[in-house]
Amino acid sequence: MKEDLDRITIVFNSNREGIPGTLNLCLDHIRQKTGGSPLHEDLMAKIKWVIMELLTNAVKHSGQRETVLKIVRTTEAIILEKEDYGKPLVLVGQDKKKIMWPLEEMVRPVDFPIYHNGMDSLCVRTDESGRAIFFIEELAELEMPALLSDTSEHFGLLIMTKASDEFAYEHEPETGLNRFISTFYFTNPLP
Amino acid sequence: MVLEVEEINRVVKATILPEEASLSNAEAFKEEMITLIGRGVRLVIVSFENVNYIDSSFLGSLVVALKYAMPRNVDIYLVALKPDVKNLLTLIRMDKVFKIFNDYEEAMGTLS
Repeated sequence: MKEDLDRITIVFNSNREGIPGTLNLCLDHIRQKTGGSPLHEDLMAKIKWVIMELLTNAVKHSGQRETVLKIVRTTEAIILEKEDYGKPLVLVGQDKKKIMWPLEEMVRPVDFPIYHNGMDSLCVRTDESGRAIFFIEELAELEMPALLSDTSEHFGLLIMTKASDEFAYEHEPETGLNRFISTFYFTNPLP
Repeated sequence: MVLEVEEINRVVKATILPEEASLSNAEAFKEEMITLIGRGVRLVIVSFENVNYIDSSFLGSLVVALKYAMPRNVDIYLVALKPDVKNLLTLIRMDKVFKIFNDYEEAMGTLS
């Protein structure tokens, strides 16, 4: 059974100078809470990359002074959530079409390729509720022309999608809340 | 200033000074790289020896610099990447477009 062992909420003031301090605060908290059974350094590195990109995303895109970062630890996973009331997500696909939230009824559910670098295709799938789940399709092509043709607002999403076990976006039209959710499952659930 | 630059025979060693290669210095890094490339060097060896972490903004600037360098026949090598930094580059396949060496000496050893 999944059970919350602890959660912390951190308010980030969406300025770039605050990124290193907030990142270290988050990592120190995770290290402290997992002190009894420390996370593998590879997993800690992935968590660090995702927190970094969530904070960078807040500075670059939210347009809000405050972003809330939540770190939840359950028996099965570490979950990072970034919430703000800024501009909803807009993605530009490989065919230059835009997908933006809140989604029109007619476009869901939908699979939407947004970037590829010749080896990985970053895609988003929306479900009936409008939740966007990011995923990677590996391509057979071995050349890398796309990496050099698209310099890319998409690197951040690519990093978060590849580093996380699950990476998703939710938008609540009633309140305007945007939420990115990154989940890292433990190989062995905690007792 | 983001880079400390040392040039010998049109080969530049450009050492990134900050520990954090991130949004706060990505734009300055890009401009300094473009200035270097534009002054007629043949190779820029970018040393990450001081860099503890890197983000997508800085990686984007690195790719912009490479795109600027390629039509000018300037190479960009990356050296002295710490494991976290190298793993992140590998995660998004940037190891396929940049030549990466353990250190400056190894990179210089490939030059004829």
